[in-house]
Amino acid sequence: MAKVIIYSTDGCPFCAKAKSFLTEKGISYDGIEVQSGSSVWEEMKKKTGSGSLPQILIGDEPVGGYSDLVNLEAGGELSQKLGLAEEGKGVPLYDVIIIGGGPAGLSAAVYAARKILKTLVVSKDIGGQVAWTYDVDNYLGFSQVDTADLIAKFEDHVEKYGVEKLVGAEVKALELTGKLKKVTTVDGDSYLSKTLIIATGKRPRPLNVPGEKELTGRGVTYCSTCDAALFEGFDVAVMGGGNSALESVFDLMKVSPKIYMVSLTSVTGDEILQDKVMSSPKVEIFTEYKILRIEGESSVEGIEIESLKTGKTKKLSVQGIIVEIGLLPNSELVMDIVETNRTGEIIVDSRCHTGVSGVFACGDVTNVPYKQIIVAAGEGAKAALSAYDYIIKQR
Amino acid sequence: MSKQIKIYTNPGCPYCKMAKEFLLKKGVEFIDYDVKNDKDAREEMKKISGGALRVPVISVCNEVMVGFDRGRLEQALSCLEQSSKIE
Ligand SMILES: Cc1cc2nc3c(=O)[nH]c(=O)nc-3n(C[C@H](O)[C@H](O)[C@H](O)COP(=O)(O)OP(=O)(O)OC[C@H]3O[C@@H](n4cnc5c(N)ncnc54)[C@H](O)[C@@H]3O)c2cc1C
Repeated sequence: MAKVIIYSTDGCPFCAKAKSFLTEKGISYDGIEVQSGSSVWEEMKKKTGSGSLPQILIGDEPVGGYSDLVNLEAGGELSQKLGLAEEGKGVPLYDVIIIGGGPAGLSAAVYAARKILKTLVVSKDIGGQVAWTYDVDNYLGFSQVDTADLIAKFEDHVEKYGVEKLVGAEVKALELTGKLKKVTTVDGDSYLSKTLIIATGKRPRPLNVPGEKELTGRGVTYCSTCDAALFEGFDVAVMGGGNSALESVFDLMKVSPKIYMVSLTSVTGDEILQDKVMSSPKVEIFTEYKILRIEGESSVEGIEIESLKTGKTKKLSVQGIIVEIGLLPNSELVMDIVETNRTGEIIVDSRCHTGVSGVFACGDVTNVPYKQIIVAAGEGAKAALSAYDYIIKQR
Repeated sequence: MSKQIKIYTNPGCPYCKMAKEFLLKKGVEFIDYDVKNDKDAREEMKKISGGALRVPVISVCNEVMVGFDRGRLEQALSCLEQSSKIE
């Protein structure tokens, strides 16, 4: 790492700020006390071309004062000047990498950026599960908000701080044992970071039956809000017996001639909704049935189901299938490294620590109860503040 | 090669809205077809996508994309610059 020299004097607030900035970043420096007009001051003026304090030198290069330092960091040039980029063999180094662009990850990004941590968000998409529903009525400050608008606001807020984002990138491997954490994407790009925040949320649980993968997007959907409207005129099977499944059936009652509800267990969920669904002549319910396969060449043509009680099978002719059998945490990346609970959620303490030092987790991927946007956002803030504390304590 | 971007959407689908806002931000023009209410558009969408029953479907130059994948869409949009350079 290039040598850093800071010329400062007592009682100068920007000198103190520059020093604590360097300390927070883990950058060691030589401090030189300067009195205006002294010989050291003359020397400083000669080297930096300026007489104001503080003055900072990286190697032999004068980089200016405190605000110049912060600007260098914001522009990603500080680690280059320090020669840190070369040490990592061209692999970019961050203070914090956040995996996931849902409410937890984006909130963490805002908090990290405001602590002037060099931050990277890597995510397959922006918004996460928030985009699976049309509007939200329970996020503080919005009695009702269109989710696409809410996500745009989240993203604008993050953009305001110039956080680097890699959207459309899927993380495929993590190395967490060393002091620097390594994140590798499916495209083979790698990034290093002092800390890692896992905010990967949840995904719909798949049926795991033949035909499902091939026919996803061709009649099989996990996003009723998005795709159910395309099933107009189709006979449709809704898989699941909870509230989400009931809501899907209820929405389909307006557009589909026949709706089958297929559930492993008895139907649970909102009783008023149950009554409405069960009293519709369009709806036929199969409880204690499991699905064996999905049939169809280029699009869904039917399903085969089996009674758990009698073992008898039955074929249903449908052109659409909505899968509402719950969610799975996206914790596979760290399954062997951090502790998870029975359902695969990452176990964290009240400060979002996982068991691995420098690795934090937040939002729906964790065991924190009540999976809600506002909870995920709050947890994201906590994870970023904990990452900041960790970096400070590493000094 | 058609430079016209077409996007097939359902008004109730957040991904569709996000995809359209992305295109607006990029400053490219597009035609939006409402496949919930326009059955002909729905059929056309299925035809060009090989039977997709998922929104949004986006056609850019020679490429038809099912779903909103920002990275892929951004890449696909580069054909607009290339084709205008050739002209
Ligand atoms: C249908 C539905 C309706 C809902 N309605 C409401 C509501 O009205 N109000 C409310 O408060 N909450 C609601 N919720 C819950 C709320 O959406 C979640 O609690 C919240 O989105 C969780 O945020 P998160 O950031 O933890 O995870 P997610 O939103 O799941 O985001 C995770 C992010 O991580 C990314 N990711 C995952 N794995 C990888 C990887 N390997 N590499 C790169 N990126 C990755 C994903 O692409 C995604 O961007 C609803 C949920 C659903 C499914």
